[in-house]
Amino acid sequence: MQTPLAVAAADPSSTNIWAIANTPFLWICVLGVFAVIFVQTVLYAKAATAAAPHIEMPVRELKEAFRAGAVASIGPSLAVVLVAIALLALFGTPAVLVRIGLIGSAAAETASASIAAGTMGASLGGDSYTQQVFAVAFMAMSLSGAMWMLCTLIMTPLLKKGGKSLAKRNPAVMALIPTAALLGAFSALTIAELPKSNVHLILVGISAAAMGLCLYLAKALHQKWLKEWALGISIVIALVSAYYLHTA
Amino acid sequence: MSATSLSANAAASMERFDRQTSRYGSITMALGLILSLAGPIYIAFFSGMEVTASMVWVALLAVAATFGVLWVVEPLTYFPILGSAAMYQAFMIGNISNKLLPAAIVAQSAIDAKPGTKRGDLAAVMAICGAATVHLTSLLLFVGVLGTWLVHSIPVEVIEVARLYILPSLMGAVLVQCIVSMKALRPTIVAVVAALLVNFVVVPLAPATGAFATALVVIASIVFSWVLRKRTTQASSEH
Repeated sequence: MQTPLAVAAADPSSTNIWAIANTPFLWICVLGVFAVIFVQTVLYAKAATAAAPHIEMPVRELKEAFRAGAVASIGPSLAVVLVAIALLALFGTPAVLVRIGLIGSAAAETASASIAAGTMGASLGGDSYTQQVFAVAFMAMSLSGAMWMLCTLIMTPLLKKGGKSLAKRNPAVMALIPTAALLGAFSALTIAELPKSNVHLILVGISAAAMGLCLYLAKALHQKWLKEWALGISIVIALVSAYYLHTA
Repeated sequence: MSATSLSANAAASMERFDRQTSRYGSITMALGLILSLAGPIYIAFFSGMEVTASMVWVALLAVAATFGVLWVVEPLTYFPILGSAAMYQAFMIGNISNKLLPAAIVAQSAIDAKPGTKRGDLAAVMAICGAATVHLTSLLLFVGVLGTWLVHSIPVEVIEVARLYILPSLMGAVLVQCIVSMKALRPTIVAVVAALLVNFVVVPLAPATGAFATALVVIASIVFSWVLRKRTTQASSEH
């Protein structure tokens, strides 16, 4: 489909995005980001394994947590994969892998790219979407993603200090904050879906009911695995319903 | 005596865990940041694309007008949930609210750990490790290797449905799991009421607050859960 020597096909006004978007150098950077995350994962798992025995947490529980996290993310990961595949034509494989698959999220990155293309008087995927527009859009969404990481790098140590001094002065409030924050975040994210359309409204209900049923069955029948798979099952049930509601 | 030395030991080892993860986390994140910028810089400025610095500035300013607030607000919003160690994982891996947080909640409820406790923190870190492993593998395989083939073989409607409806399909279930595993009635009611008020009253009245909606709900949930807490003596005996 694309020429193996992609760089040879570089031409700012060409609309053949894939010719530039699959440059070997980009692939190297993407694989580098994957490798960095993999190394981070290994280092973190080691640090957790070293700390766990001292807080009377058996290593078995760490393994359980790892497995639960892995299983719970199968559904969301496959959903991200589907969305990523849909965007391959726009951005090429390396950019999709690093921007939509990792670091960012499909919604934020596509919006950023489309805003950036707009400043060049172009729209994503249209006749005006040239290699030059792609280069600027990719640059803008990468810089935006970099700002997120930069803010995290700067703010995390400060927040940690603040949290520590708060924990000393008022331990009860520190015990309450994560619970309240988590409930707040997911209430907000869920309720924001409700007014989008009737289908969204119904799907939130279906997904919630499926989870309720899975958790009830897991408890009633003492099937612990069901608790771990509940999220994946609920997503599948809701998405299958979505397919029929959407095409009906 | 032995009990206090045990808890001192626990505090010291969590302290070490914090130090290690802060160091590993910030170094790996800085590397990820550099690598993620190297590619687009090469494409824009070293591939004959005739991109000028001002084109990039204008595009970035336009993006910042929409997302600039979130650069600061999102780390603030998720810090109390993730804790410092997981912050460096989450903001590099991405897909925080739709993948990493749900994974952390599932893992904490699988071993009956509360968020914000030492066990809860370690469980969340391990859950994100598990989620990252699955995510890296599935992306490399299904997008990196098989992507160009799959793009022609998956029906367009299936991709469209996944794109349109993944969030409602996920969020309903995650909220229920979250409520069930927290077992905290008052904060639950406070959070749902705050979310309803912000989404259906505050944002329609002042659309400029839209970008802050989640953060507003999180702050309101924390403040009002504290103000309206059950004022009995057993308040802090959770852990």
